[in-house]
Amino acid sequence: MVTEKYQPKKILCVPLDPVHDVGIKLINAELVKHGHTTELLAPDLPVESIIKKAAAGSYDFILVSRTLGYGIAELLARFVDQLDAAGIRERTKIVIGGKAVTPELAAELGFDKGFDEHASIENITAYIEGRAAAAQSASIQKVKKNIPSGHSYTFHHKEIEALLEQIVDKTLRWSEGKTTPGIRRAHLREEMLHTKDNAKHEQLQSQYHALCDREIVEGNSEHHFPKGVRIVRNDELHDLEQMLTSHTPHNPVTIQHNAGQPLVFKFLGSGCPVMDITHGKICERWGIDGFLIINPSWEARYEGLLEGMLTHENDGTITSLENIRLMKRWLDPATLLTVRAHRGLNTPETTLLAGEAGADLTKIDLVYGSLGAGTDPERLTMDGIESIRIAGKYKMAFDIPGNDELSGVPAWKTLAGLLINVMLGKKLGTHAILKPLFCYGPHIVLNGQMKLNFVDYNAAKIHALKEIVDCPIWPGEPIAFMTQTEDRVQSANATSYHASLAASLGVDAITIASTDEAYSRGPISIASRIDSIRAVTDAFRFMGNADIAPTPAMQTFKNQLIEKITETLRAAAEADHLPDAINKGLLGNAEDGAYPGKFGKGTVTSAGAQ
Amino acid sequence: MENSSAFDKIMDGLDIETYLVCSDVQEGKRLALQLGKEMNLGDVDIMFEEFDGYGMRVRLRKYIYKPGNAYRWLK
Repeated sequence: MVTEKYQPKKILCVPLDPVHDVGIKLINAELVKHGHTTELLAPDLPVESIIKKAAAGSYDFILVSRTLGYGIAELLARFVDQLDAAGIRERTKIVIGGKAVTPELAAELGFDKGFDEHASIENITAYIEGRAAAAQSASIQKVKKNIPSGHSYTFHHKEIEALLEQIVDKTLRWSEGKTTPGIRRAHLREEMLHTKDNAKHEQLQSQYHALCDREIVEGNSEHHFPKGVRIVRNDELHDLEQMLTSHTPHNPVTIQHNAGQPLVFKFLGSGCPVMDITHGKICERWGIDGFLIINPSWEARYEGLLEGMLTHENDGTITSLENIRLMKRWLDPATLLTVRAHRGLNTPETTLLAGEAGADLTKIDLVYGSLGAGTDPERLTMDGIESIRIAGKYKMAFDIPGNDELSGVPAWKTLAGLLINVMLGKKLGTHAILKPLFCYGPHIVLNGQMKLNFVDYNAAKIHALKEIVDCPIWPGEPIAFMTQTEDRVQSANATSYHASLAASLGVDAITIASTDEAYSRGPISIASRIDSIRAVTDAFRFMGNADIAPTPAMQTFKNQLIEKITETLRAAAEADHLPDAINKGLLGNAEDGAYPGKFGKGTVTSAGAQ
Repeated sequence: MENSSAFDKIMDGLDIETYLVCSDVQEGKRLALQLGKEMNLGDVDIMFEEFDGYGMRVRLRKYIYKPGNAYRWLK
């Protein structure tokens, strides 16, 4: 292996540590592979024996491994002195490596070179061979994944398929000839984005603002924004560019240990796109595969969207075209970006802006958006159908978060709702991604399905969905929600256990929280983001290609879920259409803690009545 | 740049984790908040606390920047 350029060396490997000699064994093995002659001593030999051995051989290098601890520096200094006294230093270079070793400390102790525990074997080998270490790549060449690819969207459960077809067909028929201010604004926005005629643009803008709430008109026309909102200044953008172009990721990593493990997503929605981007870049270095942009809750309640690059002091980043484009510009091209659209009154326009800005995915759930996020079922059904059409036009898949389960809705009703969205996607030409809740839901708490463990019921949901349809599954949102506390270590652990289970179940992606997710009194910190990413990386390494085995209860839960999903859909198919089913509580009712939303009530009109 | 404060370089929040010897939860919380003041952090928030009879495991947070602020680390 040693090339002509690098002459074989004679090396004595000395594990001075009483126990830990794994590192030097690996280095020894690599040096042997490279054609060097090595001798590996037993660990923890008396210093005198080592000096005797070193003096007897004619070594080019003595490699010492030792973790630094109390009193060890003195021991090492004496070791070097004894090598000196024996005349060994004149012909041999003495190198130390181990935990807490620094190059400065090594020099201070009299060593020729020191390597800390993060030094690569390549670095050490290169030093021995007197060459430059092979350059480490500045970035891992990630390939953007297409989550729906590899899934046929075939329904294996034929009764469920037939029921979904009935519900969706009735709903699409109901929606014909109707419109909403949200749909009309999306159409106007699309025209505004593509017209080059200023007068026409002004006219469209005026029509657009006629369909908006006063706060949005004042923000866009007079820059009189809702409290805490301001325009991102040019100097901030300049400084952001300077920062991002002058820093590169050091030793970037991937979270997955093998290609079969799920993609890992995080939320971005600090309120400030500059903060989101810097957090995003750091998370990319730690291996995050994608982000979900989360908008402020008030944005969903206004008719109309603010324009421009805007920052916001409170939770949620404004999903203006300019903000999404800014994030897209700086995030790695392989990083997936999904934009939450389904909450509130701007669903079609948000989907349009996501598509225009080059986002990969959007988030739409007609049922959860109505039952858990406050929008009137009729309005959101109309807006959601249009959004799914728009998503298809931009070739964006849409993910369907089953977070209505967090309100107390039983899992089977939530899963039935997700499946209705999948069928809508099928009928409207777009791919849906199922996002079952993967945590300790209120209904589960009340009914004791997780009393014995957290594995069986979570696994049952995934297996039930897989048995019903071949569709991508992306548990969330985030995984381990409600099991996480404000204790940082507990939170990271809970996330990593759920991630392990998700990997074991062969899902496509997961969304993870940060270790300050349960702390609700301030924004997410970057250190807390890294905590949970690191925990999942270790979990994936730990799991590798192994599986977690549920108990036999999982099968029982799975069969019950499929049966109850079918019952739920049978009842929903009896309703006039999806909003009727939601309003009748068939997909979650007051007893479950779910109430049909009120935002936008009464705004569905005949398309001809504009 | 060499003279810039390390505080300026904190991206968002500063967390302090420690164990305070105390007699009960109230004393632990009081000491935790006092610690923030003694470290010249002003008001800090107790993110997490857990009293175990001997003392309190605690995590404090001080936000140096919140979203929308002018971040000195960006300069």
